[in-house]
Amino acid sequence: MAKILIVDDSSTVRDEVGGFLKKNGLEVVTAVDGTDGLNKLKAEPGIKLVVSDVNMPNMDGLTMVEKIRGELGNGTVNVIMLTTENNPSMKERGKAAGVKGWIVKPFKGESVLETFKKLSA
Amino acid sequence: MGNETQLVSKVFVLDKFYEYFDQIKQFCDQNGLVGLKANSANIMTILSSNIDLGAILLADNYCQSLDETMDLARQIHAIRPELPIVLRRTSISGLDDLPEKQRKLFCATYTIDDMSPLRKVIEEYIFSLYYPNALVRGISEITSSTLASQFKHLKVNAETPYIVRDRIIFGEVFSLIPLESSWCRGYMMLQTEEGAILDVLSSDELTGGESPATFRTVNNILGEVTNLIWGAFKNRFVAYDDPGSRSTTEVPIVINHQHKYISFGSGNPQLCFKYTLLNEEDGHLITIYQWFVFNLNWSPEDFQEIQTSVDDLIDSGELELF
Repeated sequence: MAKILIVDDSSTVRDEVGGFLKKNGLEVVTAVDGTDGLNKLKAEPGIKLVVSDVNMPNMDGLTMVEKIRGELGNGTVNVIMLTTENNPSMKERGKAAGVKGWIVKPFKGESVLETFKKLSA
Repeated sequence: MGNETQLVSKVFVLDKFYEYFDQIKQFCDQNGLVGLKANSANIMTILSSNIDLGAILLADNYCQSLDETMDLARQIHAIRPELPIVLRRTSISGLDDLPEKQRKLFCATYTIDDMSPLRKVIEEYIFSLYYPNALVRGISEITSSTLASQFKHLKVNAETPYIVRDRIIFGEVFSLIPLESSWCRGYMMLQTEEGAILDVLSSDELTGGESPATFRTVNNILGEVTNLIWGAFKNRFVAYDDPGSRSTTEVPIVINHQHKYISFGSGNPQLCFKYTLLNEEDGHLITIYQWFVFNLNWSPEDFQEIQTSVDDLIDSGELELF
């Protein structure tokens, strides 16, 4: 089953996004910040898609992506940012780190479900 | 909300001369004030339930004697020192006949024949800061749509935005988030009642249906709503290349739980919005107060709403693939 890692410090978002994806047949792993996200990615095999917030305590989402590509040497996992940020310079930084897509919150599951399924297949 | 966003402020009118009410009401209408009347028996009760006032208008013959009126003013000043009290004089003008201790309770006086001092007080104490219409209107729009997205089964209503001098916190749970740009520096604060949110929570919608809602659920929801509004505020009002504030000045924020009181270190009036979220099926209601306190920098002359090109526009919630 396709496995998706959701990284967000807000349990409301983790519950909302995770609940929606589970209802639609996807397996979900959650992490509370960038550090936790890195650890989960290392520990849980089979994660194909990471959906991450940007602004989080301990380690922000963009730093986490840079570490996924750099320290973990994982160049294949797809990453989508789900954030309130819409700043072009942040998007550029994300692109440079290998982020695949950007969603400005709030999360509208139906409009992204098919893409999530493809990216996590 | 129309193009022109008229800010108002609530004032508590303690006056028993009913023949003057029309004049006072007319003055309030013309000067952006919403007058609230009270019976002398329940003044303190009404004061405790109206935590979002701008001023008190008190007539010197409101009580049986001038001494009793002065005692009432002293009691009000003791519990709400932020609220300017304006005294309507009946037989003489000014405060010269009062002892120094009593004079200090009032910021000004007026008579029914000359209300110009009252106008001055309002300009000085309530409408002293300019808030651009686009900002006020935009905040209301952003917040209403955020609340609607988070509480899908509730009907969101935004009241006319207003100015408060009060520092009393509403409800039991509030969030604070800094707002920083070249034109503003301060905080946004959301205040609400825990029980009201728990009453209307649809666990399926907001908690994933995995566990019953608790105070932590309320905290998390308020936190996420705050985060969403903060992000939308930045995207709409803070240019991407905004250099930010050059100042690093900070002042302590003091919260007194016993008195439900918060101080941001500034006596400035604060921009306030009130939203109600109604479950039309069972009548349950959530009230949310939203304060903007630009206590560290306020330069509205540098404010500008970001004009986004339609070509560049990606709707919130839509995936922008790189």
